[in-house]
Order: sequence, then structure tokens, then C-alpha cells
Amino acid sequence: MLKPVPLAPSSSAGYNSPVPPVSQTIRVTVLFFGRLKELTGHPEHSIEFTDAPTIEHLFALYAARHPELAKYRSSVVASRNQEFAAWDTPLRSGDEVAFLPPVSGG
Amino acid sequence: MAKLPHDDIYQLVREPIDMAALARHVRAPDDGAMVIFDGFVRNQSHNRPTLYLDYEAYESMALAKMREIGAQLHEKYRIHRVSVVHRLGRLEIGETSVFIAVSAPHRAAAFDACRFAIDTLKRTVPIWKKEYFEDGAVWADGELPPAPAATPRAKPAS
Repeated sequence: MLKPVPLAPSSSAGYNSPVPPVSQTIRVTVLFFGRLKELTGHPEHSIEFTDAPTIEHLFALYAARHPELAKYRSSVVASRNQEFAAWDTPLRSGDEVAFLPPVSGG
Repeated sequence: MAKLPHDDIYQLVREPIDMAALARHVRAPDDGAMVIFDGFVRNQSHNRPTLYLDYEAYESMALAKMREIGAQLHEKYRIHRVSVVHRLGRLEIGETSVFIAVSAPHRAAAFDACRFAIDTLKRTVPIWKKEYFEDGAVWADGELPPAPAATPRAKPAS
């Protein structure tokens, strides 16, 4: 039987080092649109957490990096997995969150 | 989410919208009326001459929301076929940005449904337009879509 080989030998932790049952990493994809995209400089971003954040936490994190963003907090709605979502929505790994300025289609 | 009739059309496109073809599709022989909304690029905004518009969308969510509107139309009104098409990218003055057609056995339902569709689209579908003028560009004033104020308590995330 083949022995499993660590895929990332450069990792600082050895393959056999005891790993505590850590809380799983939560990876979230974040999307910005319209003026928010221009402001943050990226349409799409992937970010990892060790504790489940809420959408509010996520926004605060980006607002800390891009102070201009904070000004728009009251005129932004958020979505989680393509549904409008409340700011206190907890996030799970694999979620796609988008921050949406007022819509102006038509 | 309610199932949509397979002959409805919901699309985001980057080319000019073929209104005649869509109208022919929506206009079924067993109907008696069709109402069309043709939204196109105005040559000015707040009395400032517009050069052109640039539309962008959160495409997957925009399509889902457009289909949701379709489902609501079929639930609320006695209508037959629906077509909702929005164009993205750069649009020149006079070009159609949004096209909605609704057919029905009788006109009242078609009028009401078409009006509901464009009003709801403008409020809830994640699409944005940037207006370009001689001396710069601005994101158009929009509407903030209604979102839940707080998550229902003790409901596990699904």
C-alpha cells in the first residue's frame, strides 16, 4: 500500500507532527461592485478566518484596510450566496459574500 | 423557488437586444395582448449631456433575481409568457438597456405585470450603471434593495 505523501513538503509543520484538532479554517469569497469595487481596488477577494465571522465583521475588516469604505456602510446591502442577507448573518466556509451599493439597473 | 415556464426568457447580454425576435417569441397565438417595456439610454442626466453609460452586474445574482421576478409575475397575474433581458457593458445614447415583454390573454394583466417587473427590477436586481459626461463619470444614484434587518434568531445557517 502506498504511503500518503504530504503535498506541501515546504510547510513548517512536519507531516507527522501532532496537530491539535483546530477549529476549521473558514474561507469566504468577497465581492465588491460599483463604487465599492473602485474603492477597494479589487472585485473579488478570498479571505480566511479561524472563527466564524458575521457579514458585519467582514465589512469592518475591509473598512479598516480601506477607510473610505466605512463612509458607505449605511448605503450598502450585503448578500450571502446570492441572497440579500442581514449584517449579523454568520458565515460558513465556502460562502460568497457581496457588498452591493444602491442598484441602478434599467 | 417556483418553477418557471420553460418558454420564458431571462438573460444578461452584451450585444444589442433583438427586441423584435423577443417580441415574436413572447407573443403566443393563444394570447390577446402583449405589453413591452423598452428602457433606453437617455441623452442627459439632471440636464447634463450624457456621452454613454457603462453597465455592470453581479451576474449570477442578477439572473437569479430576474428569474425570481418572473416567478412572482406568474404567481400574481394571469399572464402567459415573460421575457426580461438586460444589457451590460457600454451603451450609447438611445440603445436599449432593458427589455421586458409580457403576454397574456387580456391586456390588464399584461400591463400590471410589466409595470411590476420593471419597478421590481430597478429596486432589487444587482446591476449598476456609470454615467459618462464630458467632464467625468459618476455612478448613477440608485435604490438600496430591501434586505433583512437581522437574521431570525436561533436559525442555523444553511
